[in-house]
Amino acid sequence: MAVVSAFLVPGSPLPYVKRDNPPWGKIATGLERAGAALVRSEPDVILLYSTQWIAVLDQLWQTRPRVSGLHVDENWHEYGELPYALKIDTRLAKACVSATGTIGVKSKAVNYDGFPIDTGTIVAANFLNPGGKIPMVLASNNLYHDFALTEKLGRLAARLARKQKKRVAVVGVGNFSGAFFRHEIDIAKDKIVAPKYDRWNKKILALLQAGDGKGLSAALPEFATKGKADMGFKHGAWVLGALGGKFTGAQVHAYGPLYGSGGAVVEFDL
Amino acid sequence: MPRTQKKGAIVAGFLAPHPPHLVYGENPPQNEPRSQCGWEQLRWAYERARKSLDALKPDVLLVHSPHWITQQGHHFLGVPQLSGKSVDPIFPNIFRYTFALNVDVALAEACCAEGARQGLYTKLMRNPHFRVDYGTITTLHMIRPQWDIPVVGLSANNSPYYLSTEEGLQEMDRLGQATRAAIEKLGRRAVLLASNTLCHWHFHEEPALPEDMSQEHPHSLSGYQWDMRIIDLLRQGNTKEVFRLLPQFIDEAFAEVKSGAFTWMFAAMGYPEIPAELHGYGTVIGTGNAVMEWNLEGA
Ligand SMILES: [Fe+2]
Repeated sequence: MAVVSAFLVPGSPLPYVKRDNPPWGKIATGLERAGAALVRSEPDVILLYSTQWIAVLDQLWQTRPRVSGLHVDENWHEYGELPYALKIDTRLAKACVSATGTIGVKSKAVNYDGFPIDTGTIVAANFLNPGGKIPMVLASNNLYHDFALTEKLGRLAARLARKQKKRVAVVGVGNFSGAFFRHEIDIAKDKIVAPKYDRWNKKILALLQAGDGKGLSAALPEFATKGKADMGFKHGAWVLGALGGKFTGAQVHAYGPLYGSGGAVVEFDL
Repeated sequence: MPRTQKKGAIVAGFLAPHPPHLVYGENPPQNEPRSQCGWEQLRWAYERARKSLDALKPDVLLVHSPHWITQQGHHFLGVPQLSGKSVDPIFPNIFRYTFALNVDVALAEACCAEGARQGLYTKLMRNPHFRVDYGTITTLHMIRPQWDIPVVGLSANNSPYYLSTEEGLQEMDRLGQATRAAIEKLGRRAVLLASNTLCHWHFHEEPALPEDMSQEHPHSLSGYQWDMRIIDLLRQGNTKEVFRLLPQFIDEAFAEVKSGAFTWMFAAMGYPEIPAELHGYGTVIGTGNAVMEWNLEGA
């Protein structure tokens, strides 16, 4: 089996830059728990897809051997910087670039000094892969790809890792419900914007915990529209694709609001 | 320091789109990749706009960019100096630009305060490590490559996408009014830059050589026709009709003006019914781009 662990994590910078705010600190603690589980699974590589790495032409894959820098979030600049230093599994990333033609996707390698790494990728990497010790494959979210195609990309990436005889941790970075507060709130009293989104998030989490793949597949299209799932929950598609839809349950390490949107840290039971 | 006068004024507004291809085609020393040629008609349109801007002698350039997207509020660059390397996330092969700019922080603060007075949620961006977005940088380079005029950068709050086009553009209208009030209060001679493409339907693949102009043309006839209709109305000074049509134009041509810069600029200028000067039009990877000027001093 190539996939040794799998996670869904939120891409908001708030748990990282402002963990002293209790609702966000709770998510940070959950992320650390997920990070510990990931390290215990001893992967050779992390396959990470972030909804915040937006592509519109080709499917982009990071292929620079080392990427490092200091990022400031476009929206949450007042809470400070996001440092990062990541090691890229260039051999596997390049294999992904070469192979996506087989599923009708044109890919491009990204290897440029100063290329902007998105907030979600950095936050996930800093919690799940502290020190950037484990090599990563970073995949973009092409806005023109749907859920099904993203599942195929995840499956393909996992298959190529298996071919290279690698143990894989797969990570999808994005929110559950994507509706958020637009105005200033008392951050200590942050909550999910509306009860209906809270209900939707909990419904999806329950299906994940029950290992109910069929129920999940049935519920996700409606979650995308009525639950305002972040980017149609394509980060979930990436993980489910890599798992071939097979998981027996899930642990929810944290769930809560991130300025009104739904943040959940989920570890799949394989 | 910007020179001040008794009562400030917006002396001109420009529609100043930001395809990074224009910088690439020009080969300035700040940009790493080198091109053979490309998008001359748009670059020459900017050449004309540069001359106009030079004659206007503004104290400050204000630019609203769709590629600094904020969800909570309308933000303003609020650090005196910002510098770094800007790599376009969509076209990293053609845009890797080393920039350094000066911000008119006092005016940014005034815009922020006036916006709040208008009932908008506004924020100042005070982080010195902030990376300025490639839309802002491309527009500023194309209109003023000397980088010698202080800048106020405004983010694009995603309200037109998160709420509805109409609700979002109402916010941009208020943002424009706030911007005007701040400029007048601080006595600045200001030029506004709306960093927007018109029809935004684009090709999904780049030619092997990006500057292969034999591959460049409008994405669709209907998009082109929309652009010409809007441009012609603007040339006639029929601003009312343009804003009546705007939501339909946005829907049918996927126009980037949805992000708000165009509305912000017109609201700040008071929706003048004066004929625009079209400096030029051209397509970039199929999208429609016009460089246009509204000179309020000559009006
Ligand atoms: Fe743009």
